[in-house]
Formats: sequence, structure tokens, C-alpha cells
Amino acid sequence: MAEVVLQHVMKYYGNLAAVNDVNFTVNDGEFVALVGPSGCGKTTTLNLIAGLLPMSGGDISIGDRIVNDLDPKDRDIAMVFQNYALYPNKSVYKNLAFPLQMRKLPNDEIDRKVQAAAKVLDITYLLERKPRELSGGQQQRVALGRALVRDPAVFLMDEPLSNLDAKLRVQMRSEIKRFHQDLNATIVYVTHDQLEAVTMADKMAVMNGGLLQQYDTPARVFANPINMFVAGFIGSPAMSLVPLQASTVDGRVSLSSVEGWSLPLSDANARKVASAKSAKVVLGARHSTIRLHKEAATGFVPAKVYTVEPTGDITFVQAFLSGAIVNISLPPTVSVAPDEMVWLEFDQERIHLFDGETEMALRAD
Amino acid sequence: MTSASQISRPRSRKGVDGWRWTGRFFLVFMILYTAIPMVWMLLTSIKSGFAAMQFPPQWWPSEPTLASYQKLLDPQNSVGQDFLRFFWNSLFVSVCTTILAVLVAVPAAYAFSRFRFPGRRFLFFAVLLRNMFPAVIFLVPLFILMRVLGLVNTHGSLILTYLTFGLPLAIWLLKGFYDNIPIQLEQAARIDGATRFQAFLLIVTPLSVPGIIATAIYSFIGAWNEYIYAATFLTKNDQLTLPVGIQRFFSENTTDFPGLMAASFIMSVPVVVLFLVLQKYFVRALTEGAVKH
Amino acid sequence: MTTVAGHAGLSRKHFVVQPSLLQQMWTSRADYLYVLPAIVVMLVVIAYPIYYTIDLSFFKTPPGLQLRDKIFVGVDNYTSILSSEVFWRVTLNTVIWTVASTLIAFVLGFGSALALHRDFAGRAVLRAILIIPWVISAVAASYIWKWMYHSDFGLIGAVLVQLGIVDTQPNFIDNIYSVLPSLIVVNIWREFPFAMIMMMAGLQTVPEQLLRAARVDGASAWQRFWHITLPHMAGVSTVTILLLAVANFNSFIIPWIMTGGGPSNASHIWITHIYELAFGRQRWGVAAAYSVLLFIILMSLGYFYVRALSANEKKEQGA
Repeated sequence: MAEVVLQHVMKYYGNLAAVNDVNFTVNDGEFVALVGPSGCGKTTTLNLIAGLLPMSGGDISIGDRIVNDLDPKDRDIAMVFQNYALYPNKSVYKNLAFPLQMRKLPNDEIDRKVQAAAKVLDITYLLERKPRELSGGQQQRVALGRALVRDPAVFLMDEPLSNLDAKLRVQMRSEIKRFHQDLNATIVYVTHDQLEAVTMADKMAVMNGGLLQQYDTPARVFANPINMFVAGFIGSPAMSLVPLQASTVDGRVSLSSVEGWSLPLSDANARKVASAKSAKVVLGARHSTIRLHKEAATGFVPAKVYTVEPTGDITFVQAFLSGAIVNISLPPTVSVAPDEMVWLEFDQERIHLFDGETEMALRAD
Repeated sequence: MTSASQISRPRSRKGVDGWRWTGRFFLVFMILYTAIPMVWMLLTSIKSGFAAMQFPPQWWPSEPTLASYQKLLDPQNSVGQDFLRFFWNSLFVSVCTTILAVLVAVPAAYAFSRFRFPGRRFLFFAVLLRNMFPAVIFLVPLFILMRVLGLVNTHGSLILTYLTFGLPLAIWLLKGFYDNIPIQLEQAARIDGATRFQAFLLIVTPLSVPGIIATAIYSFIGAWNEYIYAATFLTKNDQLTLPVGIQRFFSENTTDFPGLMAASFIMSVPVVVLFLVLQKYFVRALTEGAVKH
Repeated sequence: MTTVAGHAGLSRKHFVVQPSLLQQMWTSRADYLYVLPAIVVMLVVIAYPIYYTIDLSFFKTPPGLQLRDKIFVGVDNYTSILSSEVFWRVTLNTVIWTVASTLIAFVLGFGSALALHRDFAGRAVLRAILIIPWVISAVAASYIWKWMYHSDFGLIGAVLVQLGIVDTQPNFIDNIYSVLPSLIVVNIWREFPFAMIMMMAGLQTVPEQLLRAARVDGASAWQRFWHITLPHMAGVSTVTILLLAVANFNSFIIPWIMTGGGPSNASHIWITHIYELAFGRQRWGVAAAYSVLLFIILMSLGYFYVRALSANEKKEQGA
């Protein structure tokens, strides 16, 4: 096992920077998820680590070696692909044996390692089958097996679960996590599904537009999103973002809506707003931190219910607030109807404030 | 229900019958148009010369005979000797062309499918453009070129030439196949320890066997049927290929229609059999090569 | 440990200097190895002949003399071609031949593809039979049809006489009026299967869901064909028609074997005419000039060909 370090990594396609000055370090034995919307550069980054694409600039090292100019085969990595990329004309056994054959291992050792890997993944009974005779989940295991059999320094995984159906995905998710714990493997894992990243990874690297937005543990990314993109991308339902104007009402720093109301801020939040570049401030709040009231009171702001989605133990409500949609979660005992007027109370300790110009989170200095 | 519903499943009964009957009549017409000349060729080839030259014709041969075939295939008789030699010449030239075409087209098609080197599009279309030009344009210059290379009156001149007119389509067809093989397979192979060339050879090539077979049939049929270059480059009787040989045969025996039909039939057998046995690859290659990109 | 890259949240395009063409070519030098064999063969057998033909078109080659004794005559060859009556006759024949063969072969091929699209017992057999004419050699086809058309013992004439449609055996290919249509029938016989295969392939790409949706919306069979199938087939049709047109324009074997261009040039098309000028009458210079004119026409056809192909390719990449 080994650590992976990316320094100022660049990749251009023509004039477009698909990966733009990305830096991060994956520590030995760490599970890192690269997450972002499609086209954000996460798969390109993975391919750069694998050596499947030439870099336009920067350095990548695996273990103690700079691997910039090494062929994929010399980087001591294994990779699991979204479509599994099993060799369709080879049996499962030969699929697992291929990486070992390429390294010219003696046949008896190949056999021993293939059998061992097959046993770990519980696919011994599939060894003689061809990939097309396997179910999606079985193919997935074989793909993992082919990565595992070599005992590489780093595992790279490119959306390995996205071709599975929802139920199987949840199951394989825990198996991969288990796999990571048992082997203490260094894993770089690409996904567009933030839930996968949050549930599996030790750290997540959120990317957008070729830029690394935030690199931290899932808990801290969730609690302190660095900007509006990360805030909106991580968490489900998404964090509500309401564009407002900073103003002073009755001597208190407040956020005012074009709808006429204003929300006075706590001292800590007022200090954050003071660091904004302009009066444009975006209020962010997760669904669980907003309370819904049927009556008006000071500090409450008026909203109009748009949709109500009961899910059983929680009811999700979407409401219009100052022209933006706000997600709120309620216990199923509270009943609201679409088009009803309600009042929202924000938890001042747990709201997020963003600079409306730069979209960056505002911090108290 | 099959995929053909757009012509066969209209809403009303009347519509169903109308379209279906139109289709059936059309098919019957096309089958007659296609098959009658071939059937007539066969029927004529088993008539005697006298029986063929009658009016009204014998619709069905009254005394079928295989005499024409025996004459053509008898190594003791001078006609048979010539004909068999033409046959082997055709076979030799076609097989050599096929092997070379596959060897040259496979890497080229792979490169056009996978790599993004500058000039790729230009080269690809330049290769395709070769299809645009008629053989006649190249005859004189190629004849001179073959003389420079010392290949006049050799089968080498034909093989080299057939290679060029077979290659563009071969490359095009194969490119379609490679385009459909997921690139992740090669990436996986390279991560598993293969060089780029090993990935191509060990992983991609076995998967493209249907495409290679299709390319091979295409080259073979093209070479087997070619006439113009063979008629121009070869002058010695013992080197002629079948199409030219049959033309010579006919200009010497202008009324031997059973013999000519028998010769035409024998000439058609290898390509038709090859085609019928391997047609699924052939049609698939044309589909993937021509339609999908 | 939190890193932020600049102006986050906004996807921006960064403009940088692209590596130069030469650098790109150098970095992908290994890629060229794969295409090199094909390119070399093509260069030798294509580029040189084209250069040679253009060069020769400005020379005169006196009959009976060696090619190396050619005399420079400037553009004389071109002016004599354009002012000759045969040229216009042959050009008209070529246009009729190309347009009629292409359109009819396309329509018959498309029709057969549609008729064979629905699965029924024996479909594979019928399809195989329909494709055979395309597989067998044009030389064999020419002889088969020459025999079908024979002025004394031909099958077609005999059937027409027996049915009482005509009194005596018609002379199909020894008649300046019927020769060209008769040869076109042979050419179509050999070519429609190609159109059929292409269109069958195209039909498989028509999305079944759209057709179902249209049926739910109440579209008749004809309306579904006209509004969904046909527009979907536009790309394949263009490529097919262009390929057919180029092949027909370049036809040689059928007219050459069946009539040699006769009677009195009634079935000469460009290619047979050029062949006869060069190899029959040894007028290499004039033949070369003809070839150059042919190049120009083909290049303009080729322009559309490449455009149709790359339009298809782009569409696919966009999808």
C-alpha cells in the first residue's frame, strides 16, 4: 500500500482545462472519493492517476515514485471500471489470471492467487463462466477480484456501482467498504453520487468545472461547505439557498427580502456578513435545521407551501421563500397543505451564509 | 411482436391487408427478378449445345447433361486444363490479397478508431476517397509502375492493386467494429500490465474476429471478381484469372452457351458459398461500419 | 485540512497555448506506425497515378509510337474532347446510366429492406437469395444477362413472344434505343442488394419507442413511415445513394462485356469510352485528359460524400 500525491495536476483538451491545478494527498490506507457532477473532471483525474491519459502539467506520485511518465502497467495500480471491462472472450478464471500472466508469474502461483481472490469474493463457483453469463453483481465481484488478485499499491475505482440496480448497489456499497477495511487498501473512488461518497469514504474531494472545490472528511464537508456549489451538491435533499440583501434594520444586521420581511442575525452571523464583498448574501440551511410554524412570531419569515411529500417517517415540504425553493423536513404528525402560508424559523447556530458575488462561504474573522 | 411493426401493424384491418399485400407482391417480384437469371443459367448449363439453341426454348432441359461441367473440370482435356488453371490462379490471387488486406487494414482501422493523432480525419477520408476513383484512371500509370517494379505479367501486380481498392472499405468496416469495442477493455488490460500493443493484440484482436472475417470475405470477393486490371496486366494465357479467362473462352466459342453458363456457375460457387456461410458477419460488418458512423 | 481552488463554484474555461502541431505529431508518433502500411500502399498506388495522369493529359501520343515519345500539346486534348460530338453523347449516356441505376436500385433496395424487416418464416432464405446477385462477379452477370437477352434464343424475348406481347424476338442490346435501358436493368440487378443491406441496417436503428408512441398517438402505418422511419433514414440514405452513384459512375464491366459500348456508341459511358480511347485506339493523351475531367467531377461528388459521412459521424458523437 502507498500514498498518492497530486501536485498542480493539469489536463487540457484543446483550450479547455478538464482538470485545473488539482492538489490533494491520499494517505496510505485511506479511502478517498472523487465526487462531482458529470463533466467535472473526476474521471479524468482518475485516468491521470492511472496513466491512461497524458498529463498537461503537474506531478503525480504513488508511493515514493513520481509516476508522471510511467505506463499504467508500471504504476502498481489496479482499476475497476464502471462497465466492469471484463474481457468478454475469457472465462472468469482467465480474467483474474490475466494481470498475473502479464507479470509473467509462474502458473502454480497464478493459480494459487486466483483461487485465493475468488475465495475472498465468494466467486469460486463462477470461475469457469464467461462474463456475459454473469449477473451485474457477479460481474462487479469479478472486476473487484481482478483488481484484488495483484495486490496493488492503489485501487482506482470509476463509478463501479452505477450500473447496478438500487438494492444491489446498497449491498455492494457495504461490501466495498468492508473490502477496504479488511485489506487496509488505498482506494481512490470516483462517483457522481454524493451519498456513496459520504457513506463510504474517509475523505471526499468535491470537484466542479475541473477545479477541486473542497477536500476533507465527509462530516466536515457536510458541516462546513466551502462554497455554494459544495453546499448544494452534498446532502439530500439539497441545502436550500435563498439570495437576500444584507441591511441594518432597527440597528441590527439583518437579511432582507424583496418580499418585504427581514431576518435579524445573531452577532456571530452579523460578523460573517460584514466580511462579504457586497450586500448580496445567500442564506443556506439544511432541511433539518428549519422549523415550520403555522403562526407568525418575531424572527420567523413567511413562506408559501409548494409541495408536500410524505415518506412515512418524515414528511418533506418544499416552500417558496423570497422566490427560492426551501426544503423542510417535518414529523408526519404535522399536516400542511399546498399553497398554505407558513412561517419558517432558522437555527442561527446552524445556518450557512455565502457571499452572493463570490459564492464562497462567509467566515467570521 | 417484432421490430417491423411500422409497416405491418396499422390500425384498421383494411390497412393491414393493403400494406401486407403490397409488400408480398413486391417481394415476389424481386425474387423473380433476382432468381430467374440465375435459374436460367443453371438450366442452360445442363443442356446440350443443340438443346440450348432452340426456339421456343426448352423451358426445362429434356435431356439434362453434365457434359459442360465435365469438359471444364477435366484435367485431361485442353479446355479443362485452361479452366482449372484459371481457377487456381484466381484462388491464389484472392487468398494472397485477403491475407495482406487483413494484415494492413487491422492496424490502420484500429488507429483510426482509437488514436487521436493530428491528420487522422484527413488520412481517413483520403483512404476512403480511393473508393471514388474508377479503375480505368489508374490503369496506365499502374501498368507503368508495375513495369518499373518488374511485376508485369505476375500475380504480384494484381495482388498489390487489389489491396489498394480493397483496403478503404476494409478499413472502414473494421473501424466500425473497433468503435464498438469499449475502450475500457484496453485500459483495463494496460493497468493489468499489458503494453498498448499487447492490449491490442491480446484483448482487442480476438474480439474483432467477426470484423476480420467480414473484411476477409469482402477482400476475397472483390479480388475473385475483379476484371479490368487482370485483363490489362496479364497477357500470358497461363496466368489469367477466371473472369478474363472466361472472356477469352467465350470469344473463341461464341455459341457454346451451356459451357459459358457452366463456367459462370463454377466461377460463382466459391464466392456465393463463402458468402452464404459467413453472411452474418458480412452483413453485420457493413451495418456497423456503414451505418453507425 | 481544507483546500480551495480559486474561484470555486464557477466552471470557467481556461485558455492556454495549445502544443504546436509538430509537437502533437511527435507525441503521437507511435500512432502513425499503425496507419503507415496503409498510407504507403495508398501513396504508391494512388498519388503517383494521379500525378501521372494529369501530366499525360497535356501530351499527344502518336499511334504506333511508344509512350515515351509523347509530344507536348498543351490543352489541345481538352479542347478536342469538349468540341467532339461523341463526348456529349457519352456524357448524356453516363448521366442517364448513373441517375437511373442509382435511383431505381435505391428504391428497390429500400423496398426490399422494408418488406424483409418484419420477421416471417423463410425471411433469411429470401434475404440470402436477394443478396446473391451482388456477390457474384459482374463478368458472370454480364454473360448470364447477355444470354437472357439473346436475339434468337434469349429467355426474355421468348417469353414475350409466347405471351403474344410481341411477334418476333426483340433485339434488346443490338438496338440503339433499347440497349441502355437493357444494360441498366442488369446493373440494377447487381446493385440493389447493396442498397437493401444498407437500408436494413438503417431500419434497425429506428427507435421502436418512437414508433409505438406514434401508434398510440393514432398515426397510420403510412404516417409512421413518413414522419418517423423516413426522417430517421436520411443519413443512411444519403450515404447509400452517394456510394451507389459513385459506383455507377465508375461502371465498366457490364457495358464493356455486354456491348463494348455499341451499337454506335449508344451504350458507351465515360469509363468504357476512356478505356477504348486508351487501350483500343492508343490515344493515351486524350484518355488522360478525359480522366482528369472525371477527377474533377468525382472530387465534387467526393466532397458531398465526405460531408455526408462526417455529418453522420458528428451526429453519432453528439448522441
